[in-house]
Amino acid sequence: MSVSTHPETVVPPPEAASRWGAVSRWVGGGWIFLLLIALLVVFTVLRPGQFASAFNASTLALDAATLLVLAVGQTFVIITAGIDLSVGAVLVFASVASAKVMLFLSGAQGSTYGTTDGGWPVIAIGAVVAVLAGMVWGAVNGALIAIAHIPPLIVTLGTMGMALGSAQLLTGGLDVRAVPGKLVAYVGTGKIAGIPTLVVIAVLVTAVAGICLHLTRVGERTFAVGSHREAARRAGIPVRSQLLRVYLFSGALAGVAAIMAVARFGTTTIGGHTADNLATISAVVLGGTSLFGGIGTMVGTVVGVLIPVVLLNGFVILGIPPFWQTIAMGAVLILAVFVDQLKRRQRERA
Amino acid sequence: MRKITLWPLGAAVAALALAACSAGPTGGAASAPAPANRDVALVLGVNGSPFYEALSCGAQQEAGKLGLKVTVSAPAQFAADAQIPMVNAVTSARPAVAAIVPTDAQALITPIRQLASAGTKVLTVDQTLADPSLAASQIVTDNLSGGRMAADELAKLVGAKGPVLVITQPPGSTAQDQRTQGFEQELKKYPGLNYLGAQYQADDPQKASQIVTSTISAHPDLAGVFSTNDQGAIGAINGLQQAGATGRVKLVAYDAAAAEVAALKNGAISALVAQNPRQEGEVAMQVASSLIDGKPVNRQNLTDLVVIETGENAKADQYEYKAGC
Repeated sequence: MSVSTHPETVVPPPEAASRWGAVSRWVGGGWIFLLLIALLVVFTVLRPGQFASAFNASTLALDAATLLVLAVGQTFVIITAGIDLSVGAVLVFASVASAKVMLFLSGAQGSTYGTTDGGWPVIAIGAVVAVLAGMVWGAVNGALIAIAHIPPLIVTLGTMGMALGSAQLLTGGLDVRAVPGKLVAYVGTGKIAGIPTLVVIAVLVTAVAGICLHLTRVGERTFAVGSHREAARRAGIPVRSQLLRVYLFSGALAGVAAIMAVARFGTTTIGGHTADNLATISAVVLGGTSLFGGIGTMVGTVVGVLIPVVLLNGFVILGIPPFWQTIAMGAVLILAVFVDQLKRRQRERA
Repeated sequence: MRKITLWPLGAAVAALALAACSAGPTGGAASAPAPANRDVALVLGVNGSPFYEALSCGAQQEAGKLGLKVTVSAPAQFAADAQIPMVNAVTSARPAVAAIVPTDAQALITPIRQLASAGTKVLTVDQTLADPSLAASQIVTDNLSGGRMAADELAKLVGAKGPVLVITQPPGSTAQDQRTQGFEQELKKYPGLNYLGAQYQADDPQKASQIVTSTISAHPDLAGVFSTNDQGAIGAINGLQQAGATGRVKLVAYDAAAAEVAALKNGAISALVAQNPRQEGEVAMQVASSLIDGKPVNRQNLTDLVVIETGENAKADQYEYKAGC
């Protein structure tokens, strides 16, 4: 894709091609970031004291943190031209499994409100359980997609229901209301050097995953598999194990997000997270990742997660009626996909 | 070329600026820290539900009378993860009072504590927190006694004899659980009634319909059904129709959504236990106004709960959950 605007390109008239190429590359590459900046500026100008406060900045980051971790996994999946509808349900399942284990280890009773006095070892085990529980569903997704060749949309739609149902089975539909107090105090509401712990976790996860995606062979293979599966196979890339790995990773990150959610809410939230899958998919697409695979960046995903969070926060502060918020989000998503089309057209010309 | 490809960004910004302008009257004065801050934020349980829209209407009309400036927000789902970002944004907006329908008794504690410690007085409306001390006042309905009222009404309708069924939400929603609990407590007074237990539908009329038809297959002498909310009632009406049992099997339902009121009028529902969301909104604003003026308030404010029987059409119209103001 780097040779697109070379003057020696034969088919289209050289000058037009290069100008069109430059414009659409600029639009595709940076416009979404400019939109975020524009939003921040507009809200700051309209409500300087309320929107642009230190508290609100940390609120925005916190509101985005859990979703960002899910969206990182979703980015890998979508770059392989797949989709993971099960992330929210897997999050719920992993949070239930983890909270149950922590409750058992703390020796506390069932669904009473409050916190337990479980220590760091209990919390560590809980975190590991959450990640493992997420990976189990990731492995199921990966195996059915890579080996049984069932379309990702169907597989993850199925496991979405299965994971949520299993979570309800485990709990009888009742949320686990007591989690270790230390988890809530230090992770859920705590800060490290003035930055909320949950935000630190999300940034670390994103940074590591971003490096992995853009600078390592695993990342390169992820792009290759999404770009052209057959070509990747002929080039000797183990397509199956690469797909398996990507869904496993998405499941594991849903587990990480699960322990973050438990820490933040101080309870499991079985009734929640129903829209997490669509929220992450739209964030990834907003960030410029193509639903057709092969194109995408981690930075784009970060911006894509932040835009709805900023919009919602700004709208509530401005007092814009709730129905308008839904409309605005839909419009932004369509714009993003429109730009995605522009980019692909450019690539096809190249 | 460049113009064409820039328009999406321009359009987005313009739309936003336009939206911001159209919200001018609500916001204009809010940014200036006026001497008497009479801003009230109302955070509903879910967007687009007739119950909460009616609550919001009541609140807005009462706020107009009391000279309060109310801004309404509502999450897309009735769930803590969807609602918490809104509560956080309200905290940043720093209104004098926030009236919130907490979607989870536990998960909302931290954000509401933050809101309260930022200087905003908090009211909980319709639902409650596990730690009620965070709220300056609670506006609630008595769901336990609502369940009891339903049991008495159903017993009266079926002559206190025969099998009865409850259709409710999966456990976890305090309000719905209490309705079932109250119903079950009161049922003990009627030894002639054979309680078949509670079946769960998750706001899914289709499921509720299946529950009713399969129960009638198992118990052809089914005497009565109690649905703890409107979605269950809509499904139950359909199930009874399919089984040709409309009118023979008595249906008592919670709430007074438009579909339920219509069903009461045509005989598919025998009685409704209705809340008064409009009044909940009004009371919330009255309490908010008192808090701003530094007047004493009740820690707990109970709002109406009424039984509407067949034939009481005027009463049904009065209590119907209407979305439009």
